[in-house]
Amino acid sequence: MSKYGRLPLNSVAARWLLMLAGGVSSIAFGAETESMDHNLQIHGFLTQAYVKTTENQFFGDSRDGSFDFRELGVNASYRLQPNLMASAQLLSRVAGEMYDGSLAVDYAQLDYQMHMDERGRAGLILGRNKNPLGLYNNTRDVAATRPGIFMPQAIYWDRVRNMVLSNDGLQFYGERNNAMHRFNLQLFAGKTPIDENVEKSYLDPSLQASMEQDGLTTGGHLLYEYDGGRFRLALSNAMLELDSETNILPDGKIDIDYWVFSAQYNNGPWRLTAEYMQEPLDYSGFGGFLDPADTTLDGYYLQGDYRLHEDWELMLRYEESHYNKDDPDGSESSQVIGLNSYTFYSKLWTLGLLWEPTEKLMLRAEFSRVDGTIFLSGLENPIPNETIKDWNLFSLLVSYSF
Amino acid sequence: MTPALRHFVAAFLLCFATHSEAVELIANPGIAETSLPRSVVRSIFTMRLTSWPNGTPIRVFVLGDKNELHALFSKRILGVFPHQLRRAWNRQIFSGTGQAPERVESEQEMLDMLSQIPGAIGYLSEDMINEQVRTIAVE
Repeated sequence: MSKYGRLPLNSVAARWLLMLAGGVSSIAFGAETESMDHNLQIHGFLTQAYVKTTENQFFGDSRDGSFDFRELGVNASYRLQPNLMASAQLLSRVAGEMYDGSLAVDYAQLDYQMHMDERGRAGLILGRNKNPLGLYNNTRDVAATRPGIFMPQAIYWDRVRNMVLSNDGLQFYGERNNAMHRFNLQLFAGKTPIDENVEKSYLDPSLQASMEQDGLTTGGHLLYEYDGGRFRLALSNAMLELDSETNILPDGKIDIDYWVFSAQYNNGPWRLTAEYMQEPLDYSGFGGFLDPADTTLDGYYLQGDYRLHEDWELMLRYEESHYNKDDPDGSESSQVIGLNSYTFYSKLWTLGLLWEPTEKLMLRAEFSRVDGTIFLSGLENPIPNETIKDWNLFSLLVSYSF
Repeated sequence: MTPALRHFVAAFLLCFATHSEAVELIANPGIAETSLPRSVVRSIFTMRLTSWPNGTPIRVFVLGDKNELHALFSKRILGVFPHQLRRAWNRQIFSGTGQAPERVESEQEMLDMLSQIPGAIGYLSEDMINEQVRTIAVE
């Protein structure tokens, strides 16, 4: 189903993995001394969740209780020199009807640091690299780094995850520190894997769209950190253009411009996070039929986490998404497009509990009260007007990482 | 305040004072540095700075998240909770942008590594420190 992970880069990735495997075997056979060993690291994670909803389908047949949310990943990194590192990660993700668990190369890259000293560093990453959008995008599939069982959908839409996940190209990074301040800039450009989730999100599924990327995805991430992360501010962007063919309309183009503004405050056991996303969509061509579909999506969330005790954490999150930022209740969009107004927004409250009995094991339980259905996938809920406006979501997650 | 109470308070505060000095930043004696700014210590322990100014690779050693000395070092020297430090490592480990520090199981093992391995850095409680390792002041 997903084209992701079956791109020509796989051969490059395979070569890296072979090289890494070569490193493992040479250690296993004692060809190298202890000094070789510590440069190679293998890490991974296994995550299984259970999802139950009162209405609507989210990550599988959730009305009946779904176990179709599973993530497995394994990675290897090898530091050839202090300033040169090769790394690759394989990922299998089952997410209801959206992702079928087929193995994908999450990243496969070579990171070369041109400059490094105590005041900063600058380097270049080549290969398939993760897009640094918002605070969490580049590790969004790793439960141990996520801010909850599900990513806040207002910023990190699961239904179009691949569009912003990674690029096959290059990334530049530069970092500057002084006593209390740290600035980090990342710029990236590359090809983005487009899949069915993207095609069905940006054009109505009945149009049977097929999309191809025109040019490159370009973007960047600017981060400012005060006092080792006590305050954190970030601005991220990704831009891309999709060439689309449909079965009815003339060909057209969709321009997507994705902005995320992030702020976080960490103080002892407290963490407060806010992120805001804005995504102008511009439809051109299509014989002019889709010009009225131009819109600016937006969304935000506010989350508070409190470490109750060494191993326990409480989480409360509110998030809101709008199909048109100037029409938060969806009433105008409903008149123009003809679907129920609640399919053009979502508002949800989530209360969650985290338990980390060991460094490697994490368990989460969350309950969400949802109004609206914008973030539901068209692959899982094919008829938007048959979705139910008010629904509850309960989920459990267990994850092991090493 | 009665003299007895005053003594008690003084002794009580002294407990905290000695406690706050109970963990020291320690490196292999082959390292030229005798002191490091806190921001550099953070860059090292969040695995972003990977070599010393003379080019020797930095090798970071830590105890487990639940070890008391590790918690003390995290909070006092780095200013973060152990779980926050682990998330910072995880964000790099699982995006291919960094590696994890090396894990030791005891202070004795930490002492052995820090004394034997060129470029090694970690921490020890005061009573474990000997002449085979170097104490680094944090500015």
